Amino acid sequence: MRSSLNKKNLEVKIGGMRLKNPIMTASGTAGYGEELSAFYDISRLGAIVLKGISLKPWQGNPPPRITETPCGMINSIGLQNVGLKTFLKEKLPFVKKKSDVPVIANILGNTTGEYAKLARSLDGEVEGIEINVSCPNVKKGGMAFGLDKKAFGKLVGRVRGDIKKSVMIVKLSPGAQDIAEFALAAQEEGADAVSLINTIPAMAIDINTRRPLIKNVIGGLSGPAIKPIALRMVYQAARAVKIPVIGMGGITTGQDAVEFILAGATAVAVGTATFINPSAPLEVLEGIEAYMSIHGVKGVAELIGGAVTGCS
Amino acid sequence: MNTRSLRSASTDTDTIQPAHLFKARVKENIKVSGRFYILKATPETGFFVPAPLPGQFFMLGLDRRKDPLLKRPFCYFRVRDGALEILYRIVGKATFLMRELREGDRVEVLGPLGNPYPLPGWGKHKKPLVVAGGVGIASVFPLLEALKGKAVLFYGGRSRDELVLTDELQGMTSELHLASDDGSAGFKGAVTDVLADYFKDKKKSDFIIYACGPNGMLKAVCGMGLRGYISSEEKMACGIGVCLGCAIKTRSGFKRTCKEGPVFDMDEVVFE
Ligand SMILES: Cc1cc2nc3c(=O)[nH]c(=O)nc-3n(C[C@H](O)[C@H](O)[C@H](O)COP(=O)(O)OP(=O)(O)OC[C@H]3O[C@@H](n4cnc5c(N)ncnc54)[C@H](O)[C@@H]3O)c2cc1C
Ligand SMILES: Cc1cc2nc3c(=O)[nH]c(=O)nc-3n(C[C@H](O)[C@H](O)[C@H](O)COP(=O)(O)O)c2cc1C
Ligand code: FES
Repeated sequence: MRSSLNKKNLEVKIGGMRLKNPIMTASGTAGYGEELSAFYDISRLGAIVLKGISLKPWQGNPPPRITETPCGMINSIGLQNVGLKTFLKEKLPFVKKKSDVPVIANILGNTTGEYAKLARSLDGEVEGIEINVSCPNVKKGGMAFGLDKKAFGKLVGRVRGDIKKSVMIVKLSPGAQDIAEFALAAQEEGADAVSLINTIPAMAIDINTRRPLIKNVIGGLSGPAIKPIALRMVYQAARAVKIPVIGMGGITTGQDAVEFILAGATAVAVGTATFINPSAPLEVLEGIEAYMSIHGVKGVAELIGGAVTGCS
Repeated sequence: MNTRSLRSASTDTDTIQPAHLFKARVKENIKVSGRFYILKATPETGFFVPAPLPGQFFMLGLDRRKDPLLKRPFCYFRVRDGALEILYRIVGKATFLMRELREGDRVEVLGPLGNPYPLPGWGKHKKPLVVAGGVGIASVFPLLEALKGKAVLFYGGRSRDELVLTDELQGMTSELHLASDDGSAGFKGAVTDVLADYFKDKKKSDFIIYACGPNGMLKAVCGMGLRGYISSEEKMACGIGVCLGCAIKTRSGFKRTCKEGPVFDMDEVVFE
């Protein structure tokens, strides 16, 4: 009796996708699910978001690719990935076999045509497709689409036409001057959801060698250092649109996740924290449940966008 | 410390144990010499140190701090009485804080990770030759032990202070050749120069090489026409293969130091 009273409803919906809880992996921090499934049952996640893929395999950027900075890290992986063909043939079957939760593919192209082709090939193969228009680590495409509103709208509109069965998520760039505008544009062009934030362009220098600590000089900052910025942007985006917002950026605990949900996120993704502890997404989930118990919250839905505005 | 005490249980088995995350408490944290320390950590109740193999490593984190954020990769120096021992050198943020650890302090460890050194099959007549530079010596202790005193060791460092545990190493090898940048111990100069000299009157194909140290040293060793293995010290974020941050260039494209390495075939790695 007691346990049924305590039963919490963690379910959330992103477009037509039903997630049993609001926790996802962040793209690029969970591989294709293979490595993490050695540490925990990935079916416990709300959804699993896989490493970004492009049409052809990409070899990625030369090392050093990562460096730690205060409370965060900079990476310039350069979207090293196996390419669409191997993804469909090897990687996707594995993760589908290992889990019964929605799988979200993350795609990146150099041109609108490449994005469209990726979307067409993946439509219906995965539950969700996340369009990455915010990668700071590739020369063409990527962030270029995320910062130019006209190009952005055109891309989202075009790709929308190619996604008929899967849920379409657009991953916004934190470089946007006005994030609400981009979120709104994504909604207008028919996106089912937006996700944010991607990493923030950043750099670090070794004063002894007088060289940048990342071979590519500039990389993307992630981790707790970016959390307050991410939270602000999620708040602004969520206020502007009706479609669900997936929040991420520096989430390491259940409390962090609750903050994002209160700011308006329907679901959250855990990224860099996974590097510290492979099971971080589950710890975050347990933290949310603990918060709900303590505060007598019965459903995650009660919390979404529940931040009381105005200072106390 | 004597040679016998360096014997660890791990070399009795040659199966790779699945990695796991465990909490541990510092038992001891002692200075060896120069900037080298040995940290000894005992797993908390309910946890254990899975037996590692020579060449494997652990990710060690100071109890859930946000700065430093990421765990750091360390070879194991020894696993004894259920405790994990790490030989580390102070170089930056995390290792500086590690020095401050006192008995009872918490650490979090993930491992064992990566692939071990392939050991020469017994009965094959290749002589094992180990080259270590700087902190590369850490991964060499379990290896020397597995090679049962048969290996020739070339060990280079900055100065006498930075060449650690040389008495113990003497007892664990058939020959020990030292080199230091300032000449305060052994040959004055690069360890690879001593190595080149050693091969003046020997057949390279009689030896199998194991090298661990800074990239410059590995590059020089790989350029000497020898056969064997190197262990890479590329920076890591996750240690489990999901971030792709630890890429190293090989003949067949970028590979992950943490997953396909840290031990690579010498012929495979491409140094820039
Ligand atoms: C597989 C593997 C095994 C290792 N085993 C040991 C070991 O047994 N004992 C030990 O003391 N160290 C070992 N290292 C190196 C150790 O991980 C680094 O010294 C440590 O991460 C430095 O952390 P820090 O925060 O103190 O330094 P940081 O503040 O991160 O860096 C300080 C300086 O050290 C350099 N540095 C940082 N990381 C590395 C690295 N991985 N390799 C070389 N230089 C680096 C930086 O470029 C910088 O100049 C190993 C590394 C790898 C990849
Ligand atoms: C090493 C690394 C690789 C990443 N790769 C991708 C990627 O392929 N596609 C993508 O959309 N985002 C990628 N990201 C961004 C994350 O998905 C996430 O948006 C960002 O890291 C912020 O969350 P965090 O602070 O929890 O890590 C990557 C991040 C890191 C650290
Ligand atoms: S350290 Fe993350 S892939 Fe190797």
